[in-house]
Amino acid sequence: MRIVCPFCGERELGEFTYLGDAKPVRPAAGASEDDVFDYVYLRDNIAGETTEHWYHGGGCRAWLKITRNTLTHEISSVEPAAGAGAAKVGA
Amino acid sequence: MAEFSWASRSPLEHALVVGAYGARDVEPGISLTEIRNFELIQVMARRGKGAELARTAKARFGMAAPNVPKAVSASDVTLIWSGPDQFLVLSKGGKHAIDILSEAFSQSASLSDQSHARVLISVSGAKARAMLAKLSSIDLHPAAFPTGTAAATSIDHTSVNLWRGYDRPDGQAVFNLLVFATFAESLWHTMLDAAAEHGAEIGYSEELG
Repeated sequence: MRIVCPFCGERELGEFTYLGDAKPVRPAAGASEDDVFDYVYLRDNIAGETTEHWYHGGGCRAWLKITRNTLTHEISSVEPAAGAGAAKVGA
Repeated sequence: MAEFSWASRSPLEHALVVGAYGARDVEPGISLTEIRNFELIQVMARRGKGAELARTAKARFGMAAPNVPKAVSASDVTLIWSGPDQFLVLSKGGKHAIDILSEAFSQSASLSDQSHARVLISVSGAKARAMLAKLSSIDLHPAAFPTGTAAATSIDHTSVNLWRGYDRPDGQAVFNLLVFATFAESLWHTMLDAAAEHGAEIGYSEELG
């Protein structure tokens, strides 16, 4: 498997580390225990397209958000995760 | 207070043995040269300051800092892309040392002095690409990796900054490689193993190519 890093170009899988599902959103402070439990522990096991966070630790060290099909391993999009390239915010 | 005198020593001091290495019955296909005593500063744009850093860098170095995987050179400095919104400043002689750059970039970037934290290895020769092909998955063919191309990548599970510098006078491509000082000896031995079959000429230099 290869991933096309938006900063570096196409690289081998060994340069990347998988973090996990990119879907869960951190609940607001004061959210219920159930919401926090859901955020920390519960994950969908999707057969099909899913979004994931990957880390290009063996390259430019940017976090990436990847859309991947778990049935075919086809990667349909790779984009910088929130915060990557932060220097451009407001520029 | 006691007076200290810090003697600068290369992390490859013990591993690097000047002379021929590997196959002896052939013309050496690879030159492995450690470049010693350089200044290397990591520059990273602060949040929202990317455009300001770009302007400041252009004023400071007389050329735009690379915002894609490239390395650009002027007579006294090389700027090497190392990731989004960040680059390395490689120089010699103190003109672009940390105290001077800190002042120039105080509004737009965070700086970190890597001068003694990295080892710079220059690989060239007719078999340089064949040797690097054993260690790296990056396509180093001139069509894919021309002079001035840079990559932040891994070799032998070790992070490196790799870029192609100006060709040698004999036309051979030169690949420069920055590696963390504490990983340098390990990588050096890996490179020697990869170079052995082609025959290598080992040396060190104080000159930035």
